[in-house]
Amino acid sequence: MKVISKQDFDALLKDLIQDNSIDVHGVKAKGDKFVFGELESSKELRLDYDTTILPPKKYFMPQYDTLLNCSLSTPFEIKEEKSQKPLVIIGVHPYDLVAIKQMDVYYCSDDISKSYLDRRKNTIIIGSDVLSIHEKAFFGSMKTGQVENGFDLFLTDLGDKVVIEIGSKKGEELLSKAAMVREASEVEKQKVHALRMAAQGKAKRGMKIEPNQWYSLLDQNYNSGVWKSQSDKCLSCGTCTLVCPTCFCYDVIDEIDLKGNSKRVRTWDGCLLRQFTEVAGGEIFREDIKDRYRHRFFRKGKYMPDRLGFTACVGCGRCSSQCIPDIADPVKVMNLVFDNSDTFVQDENKQAKSISLDSIEINEEDAVSLHHPFPATITKVEKLTEREKLFEIELDSGEKLGHDPGQFVEVSIMGVGEAPISISSPPKRKRFDLVIRKVGEVTNKIHEMKKGDKIGIRGPFGNGFDVEQFKGRDLLFIAAGLGLPPLRSLIAHVLDEDNRKDFGKVTIICGCREPCEVLFDNEIKDWQKIPNVEVLRTVDRCPDGECWGGDIGLITKLIPKANFNQKNTYCMIVGPPVVYPFCIQILLDLGVPENRIIVSLERRMKCGVGKCGHCQINNLYVCKDGPVFNYHDIKDLPEAFE
Amino acid sequence: MKPKIAFFDFASCEGCQLQIANLEDTIIDVADVVEVVEFREIMTEQAQQYDIAFIEGSITRPIDEKRLKAIRKKSKILIALGTCAHLGGVQRLSNQWSAKENIKEVYPCAKTKDISKNEFFENPKHKAVDEVVKVDYVIPGCPIDRTEFVNVLVALVHGKNPPIPDYPVCVECKKKENVCLFTIGKFCMGPIARAGCGAICPSHGNECEACRGYISHPHERAQLDVLKEYGLTTKEIMNRKTMFTYRYVETEKEESK
Repeated sequence: MKVISKQDFDALLKDLIQDNSIDVHGVKAKGDKFVFGELESSKELRLDYDTTILPPKKYFMPQYDTLLNCSLSTPFEIKEEKSQKPLVIIGVHPYDLVAIKQMDVYYCSDDISKSYLDRRKNTIIIGSDVLSIHEKAFFGSMKTGQVENGFDLFLTDLGDKVVIEIGSKKGEELLSKAAMVREASEVEKQKVHALRMAAQGKAKRGMKIEPNQWYSLLDQNYNSGVWKSQSDKCLSCGTCTLVCPTCFCYDVIDEIDLKGNSKRVRTWDGCLLRQFTEVAGGEIFREDIKDRYRHRFFRKGKYMPDRLGFTACVGCGRCSSQCIPDIADPVKVMNLVFDNSDTFVQDENKQAKSISLDSIEINEEDAVSLHHPFPATITKVEKLTEREKLFEIELDSGEKLGHDPGQFVEVSIMGVGEAPISISSPPKRKRFDLVIRKVGEVTNKIHEMKKGDKIGIRGPFGNGFDVEQFKGRDLLFIAAGLGLPPLRSLIAHVLDEDNRKDFGKVTIICGCREPCEVLFDNEIKDWQKIPNVEVLRTVDRCPDGECWGGDIGLITKLIPKANFNQKNTYCMIVGPPVVYPFCIQILLDLGVPENRIIVSLERRMKCGVGKCGHCQINNLYVCKDGPVFNYHDIKDLPEAFE
Repeated sequence: MKPKIAFFDFASCEGCQLQIANLEDTIIDVADVVEVVEFREIMTEQAQQYDIAFIEGSITRPIDEKRLKAIRKKSKILIALGTCAHLGGVQRLSNQWSAKENIKEVYPCAKTKDISKNEFFENPKHKAVDEVVKVDYVIPGCPIDRTEFVNVLVALVHGKNPPIPDYPVCVECKKKENVCLFTIGKFCMGPIARAGCGAICPSHGNECEACRGYISHPHERAQLDVLKEYGLTTKEIMNRKTMFTYRYVETEKEESK
């Protein structure tokens, strides 16, 4: 610990502000509240602040963040935003430092975001002790009032002098520019210690449970009446998520200007907002405010611990102080859940894995521009029905896509956006097929495209079918409507003459609404001719004047008619949400074990890499953990088959 | 060929069209992507067909309905421009009284014989444009936001849906890091009002009055509870609900019948 006089600290700050090669931001007043903003003079810095309106997450994922730029005349000459001047942020409280560490784990695990890492490396963070405690803060309860690291320098303002802790080489260099730096005395160290203890003790607000108990409490109270009673007052305005330092969900939108330039922009989104889960077809997966309200708490206390190992609340009190009907306050709500839970028992096996946020290993070489699409060419277009066309695609790199059956890609058209599309061809071929229904802006545009036109591709993404697991088994495919294209990637693989010997009997049940909607009619007829393959087909109805040779009625009626060995068959179901509960129940009734039922689910897969949050089903991300799931693994997830 | 666009005004202050006429820095670029074929505020020419017709103003008199229907027939896309066209505007408040009472209030000195049976004074009720003809899109706001107008135009030229948000003003307000008006003793319709304005009023310390209408699924009851809890009287709440959004009050009355 070092000490410098207030005068020398001000001089150091002045020098920093005058240095044109860096941007210096810090806490300053806005009305009677505080914000992080650019410092124009050293006098503006307010280390005595209680909390800021927005957390410093805005520096690492700005509210409006341009990811990609291009001219629409040359859509594949994509420019990425250049990195900015180095940034110094002064006055970050310990709880916000913990939140930034959580953000590091979020953006730098699995798929590492290059733009995040660049911004993070470009920033010097100067922390500061909490001198005034906001009335809603409860960082004492969340044990985030004190940090050992996560900063370059850390300040404790003692009035006439500032105690400074050095957290990194960058910080040390910065401090070396100050005039007089001396070692802190024992008395000064004790003063700092006492100050921290007092702040922690004060910022508790009577939270009745420990941070690591959130998990058990929530786990046992998914159906607590609290969610409904509180969300009745919820405006669904999104404030609690926007002001939260540990809410990282975002949306991506395409903008075009008058000169024909296009931007792909990332902007903050929140799970409390109604459209958060909306897919192109218009379906909204968390329509009820209660479900959205509950999701926020579960994401913080259960899903993030499941996924990354920490409770995603640092006790800053921002949501509590900015929620107008006062229903977002974690202290109030968790206490309410606790009080209403007569049977709460702390289950030692069910709590946040305690990972150390201090030793995050980031493999910087793996960092990529997560949203950068790669050019590909449409090599064939085939109209399948009035609404669906098949597009055969080849990557311009000349490489194979390298997908597993059941995976998906993000199809990108600069200026319009992206759409997640299942791959409907087997992995063997160099080119791949996408069956695209005209249902939204991106798919409308693709439907206008011809052979030779170019689109962008990201992927393949997600968890496909585990083909190895199926070897030596019989297979039953249930394809309802647009469920056939994703299943075709697996069916064609299984029925390929090179692979056919690896699998037993194959039964295929296909259904759609009307004969005019039938996909891959000729291909299905070819499958029928292959030995040991049984195909059953149905349409819901056959209007006058249309011709149909198969069954008429719901697909569920066909399942008992199929002749398959319940004990040795893996059953795959893909279709619209409505078919799953019925088909699964029939299979279970027929004696198929739960773990032999495989489903592929659709949600709003926006980023494809488990970051944007839109496709979440309870604790799972459809884009990472799915879209293919074993029924046994997700049967207890209330949001899976709603 | 550039799309032909046209502007028409009905009962309004013409402030929305003025916003467009004032698009100084981008007007040349706008002219690059569309051809303006009718716009009374800035030109005298007229046209027979429109790819996009922008309608400003509420629809008041039978002669206006007739004129609007004729425009609809000539337009491929018809867009309601601004609050008056979208919801009926501030003037819709007059729907609370009879046409007779309104005329007496506005023209106290007029002789009955001068205005009765005069088609210019026939004023049964104020309507929004979509209550008379099919409306393809709405650009909300009082007045409209210039940038948003340009964004809508560009989107349509590129075959996209106009980017009108369906989330509340609070979202934009928070992203701007404004001090929430509720925390300083003011009241705001931001939690249920449709965003897209960049939270311009709260950003300048003024309470949002939902001139852009509500989001598609507002939790209105919760909002009213909040206003009450923060100290607004029932009458004050009603004033806030009716300023720009009297249409919703009428719909509610209609539904409760």
